[in-house]
Amino acid sequence: MNLSSNLGKSTLLASAVFWGILGSKVLQITFMPFVLLSFIPIFICVASSVIVSICPIFWLTERESFNKKRIFKAYFPYYAIVVFGICVLAIIDNSFSILAIAFFSSAFISTCQSWVWFAKEEQP
Amino acid sequence: MKQIVILIAAVLFSLLFYGQSVGLNLALFAVLALVLLLFYNLKKFRDRGVLLHSVAYLLSAVLVFVHRSSLSVMANLLMFVSLVGAVSESQSSIYLKWLNGLYTSIAGFFHRNIDRQEASKASNWKQKADLPQLAKLIGIPIVFIILFVLLYRQGNPVFEGLIARINFDFINLQWLLFTLMGYYLFSNIAQPVLVEPATSADLSVSNNLLETANFSEASLKKEQQLGTTLLGLLNLLLLVYILTDIISINAMIVSKASELSIQVHNGINTLIASIIIAIIIILYFFRGNLNFYAHNRILKNLSFLWISLNVALIVLIAIKNQNYIGAFGLTYKRIGVYVYIFMTLIGLLTTFLKVLNLKNLAFLFRSNTQVAFMTLLLLSGVNWDRRITQYNLTQAQDFDMDYLIKLSNRNAILLYDLKDSVAISETQKRAIEKKYQYYIQELQQRNWQELNYDNFSLDLLKTESNSVFK
Repeated sequence: MNLSSNLGKSTLLASAVFWGILGSKVLQITFMPFVLLSFIPIFICVASSVIVSICPIFWLTERESFNKKRIFKAYFPYYAIVVFGICVLAIIDNSFSILAIAFFSSAFISTCQSWVWFAKEEQP
Repeated sequence: MKQIVILIAAVLFSLLFYGQSVGLNLALFAVLALVLLLFYNLKKFRDRGVLLHSVAYLLSAVLVFVHRSSLSVMANLLMFVSLVGAVSESQSSIYLKWLNGLYTSIAGFFHRNIDRQEASKASNWKQKADLPQLAKLIGIPIVFIILFVLLYRQGNPVFEGLIARINFDFINLQWLLFTLMGYYLFSNIAQPVLVEPATSADLSVSNNLLETANFSEASLKKEQQLGTTLLGLLNLLLLVYILTDIISINAMIVSKASELSIQVHNGINTLIASIIIAIIIILYFFRGNLNFYAHNRILKNLSFLWISLNVALIVLIAIKNQNYIGAFGLTYKRIGVYVYIFMTLIGLLTTFLKVLNLKNLAFLFRSNTQVAFMTLLLLSGVNWDRRITQYNLTQAQDFDMDYLIKLSNRNAILLYDLKDSVAISETQKRAIEKKYQYYIQELQQRNWQELNYDNFSLDLLKTESNSVFK
């Protein structure tokens, strides 16, 4: 599994979604240093969620007869539904604040896309 | 062409929902979603199940427009998910339709992305379109045009004035993001996907029990003896309980709402425990080959008797609940008791059919979920706030006016109309007037997307009052 590449791409995607949503309301040119600095906490969030919630599924279930695409089709639907539910509840719990919408939307999109990137990796 | 259709749908989605609460927009969204599903999956709409789901979805959308209640919105969302699931696979169980519909709606894009065929199509499209060349064609001229516009505006005051007049305020980034969300939703549902292997597994399981090869008559005889003894004694116990309950109902003179409440809730707790245990016991004994055992007639009859006695228990609880409602009025909790009683009755009926017709556990899950689903749709067709208010003020012996005032604004007009016909305090009258005025103001301030039936009935009231003045 190409974890480093996946984490890099997921961090970029999560940052783009997060600042894209937040920027639609509050972004100013003076925020630029914060945007760059935010890559560090976003990377930590992305790495921890991908390593804790996605990688173990591939590590534990991957076999010769059960490749990454089959793992994706078998487990991703439930993962997506659970993560979507958690994100929606968190957004409602935070009274639809723009920060919560930006954070949880980026979490949902980047984790789902991370699954796609893992599943699309070439088999050794 | 197909992308353009989704794009148009996404723009309409924004037009309907951006910055609006629900009302007419949810009904129009139902039509839009149905048209999109039809456009992409015309063949699937030849199936009767899909057509029925479409009708149910449209009906739930009409109910949102008429009642605008949380229950009708919830029913509408569930119908949407069911319809998408039915388009995915119409032959699956209702809960699989929900799973497929929900998955399609929230992550269909990611699923299709992984599909090999789709991926190869995408790569062909990319090769044909030559994406880097397209990026250069769009990106480089834009960069240079911006650069030269910035340069030229320094050198010519007329040109600068012209540039200063260009106003980009109409571009609302949040509106664009909202449209993008609409695009994501419509692109997800346009080609519904399946959750595998759950869907295949569901399709392969029939509703009928099959006799297995390891058929030991001796062990079945022992099981049959145990079942007969257990169910026989339980029937006797339940019969005694029901007789004492009938005596207590006849002797009951209750003047306090709290006492009656305790009696109804204790009865409900007994009912919950009794029905759950009854169903588990019956399912245990009739889980396999005992269904095909030649000498199972007594056990079957005892099971049917046990089910009938539980139905009698339900009737007693319904009588207590009705006494409670007649004396102290309707509330959501008391209606909830009736819903629970109805669902329990259906649970017992399906258990009876399971034993009678040799059905399996899948049959129980499928039929009960289907009934629960239909019940939700039917319940969302009633304006409960209005119904509770009307019943309490016209038929109940006693009522709690503060409870009625605290209900949603959907009873505001009725409360206002009936406030002089009941004995209430001046403070309560003022609270009703305030609630009415607030509701009328809210109705008048709604945008066209948020309109519902009450807006039109308000217009009718205005027209009538104007004609009276003339």
